[in-house]
Amino acid sequence: MSTEPKAEKKDGERIYEVGYHVVSSVAEEQIPAHVEKVKKLLAAQKAEIISEENPALRPLAYPIKKAFGGVYKTFDKAYFGWVKFALPEGGDVQAIDAGMKADADILRYIIVKTVRENTMYSPKISVFADKDAKGKTIIGKPEKAAETSATAEEIDAGLEALISKEQI
Amino acid sequence: MKQCFFSQNNIQYVDYKDLALLKQFLNPHARIQGKRKTSTNAKSQRQLAEAVKRARFMALLPFVAK
Repeated sequence: MSTEPKAEKKDGERIYEVGYHVVSSVAEEQIPAHVEKVKKLLAAQKAEIISEENPALRPLAYPIKKAFGGVYKTFDKAYFGWVKFALPEGGDVQAIDAGMKADADILRYIIVKTVRENTMYSPKISVFADKDAKGKTIIGKPEKAAETSATAEEIDAGLEALISKEQI
Repeated sequence: MKQCFFSQNNIQYVDYKDLALLKQFLNPHARIQGKRKTSTNAKSQRQLAEAVKRARFMALLPFVAK
């Protein structure tokens, strides 16, 4: 999102993001090792990591096949994570692409050009527990006005008492 | 007339991971709705289409549903 102030752009710097799925056959304890592998690829190109999200197991929208030594395995869930990074001048994004491709445990990946600012827009979508409520205007409870039983004079008197106490 | 959602909310880059946002512009068959229906401006509609296609490739959104 562009509401944040624009970061200064260095010359020749390009912002990329790599999103990847790690196959679900990998144990959850092994995931940090995979993240390190990806980061190592980035470090080799002197990339500066801007933001990231650790891989989390999530269902895939459709099953994906991947060959393991001539045998296809079908996956319907995978660990999805991403890293956003800035590549300085001379950094080779092709090398990162090749490295991701060579990793046998990466089911699918994508490298996209992006912007330094946070691009996630979180709309205020209400989750309705009740289907009937959908589309209807929800009237929030009116905020209770602060109880003002004390009159202005009473407040003044109280303040003066406080001040005089402090002076003592 | 309805205004463009993206320019109203000052969204200049449509992220393919922002599924809650993208899903608003899909019909029940998971097809991208037309510009006439979404009321987005041309630039945003192109960005939206690109983002949805990326999300589909990454199996975050389906190519077809139902």
